[in-house]
Amino acid sequence: MLGELLNPYYLQVLCFILINIMLALSIYVPLSSGQLSLGSAGFMGIGAYTSALLTIHYELPLYVTILVGALLAGVIGIIVGIPSLRLTGVYLAIATLGFGEVIRVLFVNWESLTKGSVGLTGIPQLGRELLKFAKSIGIEPSALGLKNNQFVYLSLVIVLLIIVLFILWFVIRQQNSRIGRAYSSIQMDEKAAESMGINITYYKVLAFAQGAFIAGLAGALFAHTIGYISPSDFSYHRAVEILIFTVFGGSEVIIGSVFGATILTLLPEVLRFVSDYRYIFYGIMLVILMAVRPQGILDLYLFYRLKGKRIKRGTS
Amino acid sequence: MVLEVKNITKRFGGITALKNISFTIQQGEIYGLIGPNGAGKTTMFNCITNIVEPTEGEIFFNGEKITKLKPYKITEKGICRTYQNIRLFPQMTALQNVMVGGHSRISAGVFRSVIRTKSQKQEEKLLKEKSEELLELVGLGQLKDQFAENLAYGQQRRLEIARALASNPTLLLLDEPAAGMNETETDNLFDLIKKIQSMGITVLIIEHDMSLVMRLCDRITVLNFGEKLAEGTPDEIQNNEAVIEAYLGKEEEETIA
Repeated sequence: MLGELLNPYYLQVLCFILINIMLALSIYVPLSSGQLSLGSAGFMGIGAYTSALLTIHYELPLYVTILVGALLAGVIGIIVGIPSLRLTGVYLAIATLGFGEVIRVLFVNWESLTKGSVGLTGIPQLGRELLKFAKSIGIEPSALGLKNNQFVYLSLVIVLLIIVLFILWFVIRQQNSRIGRAYSSIQMDEKAAESMGINITYYKVLAFAQGAFIAGLAGALFAHTIGYISPSDFSYHRAVEILIFTVFGGSEVIIGSVFGATILTLLPEVLRFVSDYRYIFYGIMLVILMAVRPQGILDLYLFYRLKGKRIKRGTS
Repeated sequence: MVLEVKNITKRFGGITALKNISFTIQQGEIYGLIGPNGAGKTTMFNCITNIVEPTEGEIFFNGEKITKLKPYKITEKGICRTYQNIRLFPQMTALQNVMVGGHSRISAGVFRSVIRTKSQKQEEKLLKEKSEELLELVGLGQLKDQFAENLAYGQQRRLEIARALASNPTLLLLDEPAAGMNETETDNLFDLIKKIQSMGITVLIIEHDMSLVMRLCDRITVLNFGEKLAEGTPDEIQNNEAVIEAYLGKEEEETIA
């Protein structure tokens, strides 16, 4: 019965939604401290390649390699974050976009390690590893009324969902604390924040590195979800796509990223009936949205109203 | 002695904004800094908080040299300021704005904030209570959940004072707090600053409203074109010929015009 409903195709779309939510959050976190970083695709690539290479060459367990990939992305985030401190707004966006390209070109040209633009194949899939694990402890998918490949995707969805929920929990709690107040104050007025006793260097690098870590984690999970990666997965295109998730959903509130990533991952799938024209619809929708609601679909004021507080949107 | 400003000079390119300025502020005083527009008053504030670094000279706070410290470190030491052109965090509520001011008085890092340890919850609760008290003090208790950008001008000015007070300063710098206020609001501001003084906080104030300055301040320094013109009690300043000529006389002409 359950088996009938669990179409592997739907489950795979769900996996991509969850990974894209992580990627949207990787932009949201630095943005909440006023830094528009487009480096997410680059950090995602670092996480993906690191984890993939470690599993292919050293056969380490996936939970180790995924974590190493994310941590490496986080550390590189700190290294990139410090010189980027002098940059704000669109200049930071351009610099981080440049960083992403450097990483991509590195993947293309470091052929001995990355196999160049051909990409890496045969990356162990997280779902299959979970299936192996389940079988080793004596759980047969058939006992749950599932086919093997349904189990593979279902377990993957569950693992990704847990990770996404954890990140959301972490970010939301952080936001409602001393750290989150420091981030927002830097976003709204850096100079005033500094004279309120906030070490802006520390918090900006922290936010940047957190974004890089989340992107690296998403990248590693991406590699082990599809099992094949190439440098073009982490190109400029991807960086812009991730940005659109956040901007479309509304970059003022965390739920905007979740919403944007979900809708925009589903949309091309739903629009399959118009086949080749679907990206035209996608584009038109974005243009309309930016004209009508530049702050994104969900914003802070909507959020407060939903919580039952009466607040009007100001002039600014 | 709370603050000692010693031979401060600030040059921006070829322009000398401050020329060899010295003055000292005693514990518990309300000290006025006045002078015509462009005299270098706000630059003096920026030098004290090290938002701009003085070209020459030194500043001591409670005997400790603070000239090279980062602005956030200076706030930690106990100096906090407001801005001439209001710089609140517009899309934060009044309460959140004040709580940001208390940043340096609590300590939770990422880990403690996310786990919400007992000590973190405790310090958040205390900060919230204190911030609400400060909002009451400046008369914004009812408006604590409003976004700062939706407050009226005079309310925003008072919110900035509450935010600065949340950092537990021993020296509060107020940059034209009465600008744009009507008479009633100015009177309320007078009472508020007196209350702040009675809390044991030393106040350094830049203000153009002469009647307020003369009523409020214990001592005053007058700046003109980056130079110190006079220093003394309000009575002395009012009777100082150089000041009358450079500043008060000019103010009267403006009033007639």
